[in-house]
Amino acid sequence: MKQLWNIAHYEFLHVLKDPILILIVFIAPLFYASLFGVVYFSAILHDVPLAIVDQDHSALSREIRLAFANDDSFKIIAGIDSYEEMEIGMKNGTLRAGIVIPQDFEQSLYQNHPTQVLAVYDASNLIWGLNSRKFIREVINDFSTQHTAVRLASAGYSPQEIENIMNSVECNVTAWNNPTYSYTNYLFMGLMMMAVHQLGLFGVCLCVTREKERKSWIQYLAASIPTWKIALGKSLPYLIMNFFNYSLILWVSSRFVQVKIEGSVALLIILGLLYVITVTFAGFIISLYSSNSLQATRYLMLLSLPLFMISGYTWPKAYIPEILNYIGVLFPSTWMMLGIRMVSINTAGLQLLWPTLLVLGIFAVLAGYFALNFKKERNQPNKSSLSLNGGVSYPRKTNMLRALRQQIRASKL
Amino acid sequence: MTNLNLKIMRRELCYMWRDRGLRNILMFGPLLGLLLFLAIYNAQNIKDIPTAIVDLDRSSSSREISEKICNAENLKVVTYPTSYQELEGQIQRGEIIVGVVIPENFARDVALHRHTQVLLIIDASNTAYATNASTAVLGVTRTISAEAGIKTLMSKGMDPAQAKDTYLAVDFKEEGWFNPTLNYVYFLVLAMALNFWQQCCTIAASINVIGETGVKSWLQIRAIGFSKFRLFFNKSLIHIMVFMAMIIPVYIIAFGVFKLPLACGFGPMLFFTLLFAIALHSLGTLMSSAANNAMDSTRFGMMVALPSFVLSGYTWPIEAMPGFLQPVVWIFPQTWFFQGFNYLTFKNPGWDFMASYFWALIIIALVCYSLATLITAWMER
Repeated sequence: MKQLWNIAHYEFLHVLKDPILILIVFIAPLFYASLFGVVYFSAILHDVPLAIVDQDHSALSREIRLAFANDDSFKIIAGIDSYEEMEIGMKNGTLRAGIVIPQDFEQSLYQNHPTQVLAVYDASNLIWGLNSRKFIREVINDFSTQHTAVRLASAGYSPQEIENIMNSVECNVTAWNNPTYSYTNYLFMGLMMMAVHQLGLFGVCLCVTREKERKSWIQYLAASIPTWKIALGKSLPYLIMNFFNYSLILWVSSRFVQVKIEGSVALLIILGLLYVITVTFAGFIISLYSSNSLQATRYLMLLSLPLFMISGYTWPKAYIPEILNYIGVLFPSTWMMLGIRMVSINTAGLQLLWPTLLVLGIFAVLAGYFALNFKKERNQPNKSSLSLNGGVSYPRKTNMLRALRQQIRASKL
Repeated sequence: MTNLNLKIMRRELCYMWRDRGLRNILMFGPLLGLLLFLAIYNAQNIKDIPTAIVDLDRSSSSREISEKICNAENLKVVTYPTSYQELEGQIQRGEIIVGVVIPENFARDVALHRHTQVLLIIDASNTAYATNASTAVLGVTRTISAEAGIKTLMSKGMDPAQAKDTYLAVDFKEEGWFNPTLNYVYFLVLAMALNFWQQCCTIAASINVIGETGVKSWLQIRAIGFSKFRLFFNKSLIHIMVFMAMIIPVYIIAFGVFKLPLACGFGPMLFFTLLFAIALHSLGTLMSSAANNAMDSTRFGMMVALPSFVLSGYTWPIEAMPGFLQPVVWIFPQTWFFQGFNYLTFKNPGWDFMASYFWALIIIALVCYSLATLITAWMER
């Protein structure tokens, strides 16, 4: 046991001696949580810049304008009086939506001539586009209801009769799990689980490559220490720190970013533990087989975007080709991101979550097994390729010029 | 161009080629990224949103409602659970996004002009799904309520045409501009591939200075009094040429084969991308000049490159970010590029508007290269 603690202690000292590693292990998770938390803090879009081109200037067109003006989702941009001006505004991004009320609109309407109000939205950014379309429909529905009520009143119906007519079939729309359609609830935890994944790997992936670069890995291989002690001792500081970071991220997300984190705390802990074990041991295995720290870091860094996209966390799995879904399930990040959504947002219990826990458990066991039972063989450096960035070292400043100058000075003396 | 400059460039190209990890990343990264994202977003739109109807009434009136839901844009009725609890389970398991519950005695209440409710549930845990579902549901609810109201008015003796006019007085026509089919491929795929490309470029650029000053041959270079400017200029030139060589096939596939929108034309887009490649390279060079080793430099680069896409406002708009963050995000060249890219591909608002985006990338490049020069000179002292 003492050997295990010694290796873990030595590894922890390495972390403390590397300022960038300290940043990655201790600061970066909190930094990313804060950064993305700030970015998505508003959670929903509002004040969509909207132009109303009123070519009718009638009482009805003013009513339409008022309906949009009274809705918090839109901010009416004044001074846009023509279709051409609206087009320019839409092109240069000062406008994201527009309403065009045609000439003689009210007159045509009351004379039963076909006429239409044009509602346009900027779909070049689909977050603007889809939300603007939804907001426009909401305002139109409300306006139509009010307008109908006014027309019924003018036809001589009493308020009670109007209510009865209009509510004869009431459609009650409710949104479950994320009632405000918050983008923070939707995206934040997925991004954070990717951060835990990446930062966890970055930290631990140096633990063996560092030893290889310092030529001290041979000592571990030659010593009569069982492989499981080496692997566990090297991984232990990262296991603890990664789980601490996972818990910290959950707390920050819930306390400061106002992300919905409900559901069972025990399930969140189990999910986190399994994920952290998998990531840490996978990082150890990567470190074991990488030529040097730079190579390992480069490849790992590029993983985040494809893993995030293939997970089905943002773009629904039902729309991703089957083959990619099959590939996606081979990565623990896919299960974790969907699992954390199920617990924190959908408040799912064990009866729904057990397949996710089972798969993450299998990942954890496999990663642990391969990490703890690695072969004590030293890979021969590849002589056929250039060692630059691919060998056992990578460029590092040793202030050679200064050292040379000192040598020259010393030789002169 | 002198022979010596060519030799430096050839040497750099040789180093990049023989660095197997970097070679793989640069050669295959962006192309694989594009193909992967194209495959992921193959469906293009969120249509056929899985919908379930719980018809507790089983009357002709309730079947009418079901039919309207079946015919609604983007909704696809895939199941008819027999109870609310069954529907609840399906939504919790993620099998269903929209649930409709038609209550018992619905037809009787409608016939007797009694108030009745149809419940429409949307699982909003995935906002991409939910926003589309909500829009589809809004269209259906409007129709259902209006038709019920019209029937009530007719039963009260109103002329059918008059009743219809009362309800559908104001007709709205919707138009999505610049991407009328709300196609996710147009919006996201190339941007994601470019995001991946800029991450690959950052990896390459972040060893620009340290790749020389961190190896022993640097002593020889310094000893023979070789111009540092000449060395790094030629190295940078090759890096930028390689970055452009990586992106051109991506653009050819995206714009040529898959016909993604390109409002501005290929030339301006390529020039804008070239300026971004230079700005990105300058940022990597700055990091490589300040770092102690190639790995730290790469890690610095990626700490900027990884969150830069989220910060660029390409997806979540800058206007929706907190006020204090909005000016900060414009420090990064990625913000200028991805915002400009969106304008150039979808809108082409003209040179007067776009000039600031081109100039911003040039200024960022100048500032970063200048700082890198100063830092390298200072470190050498």
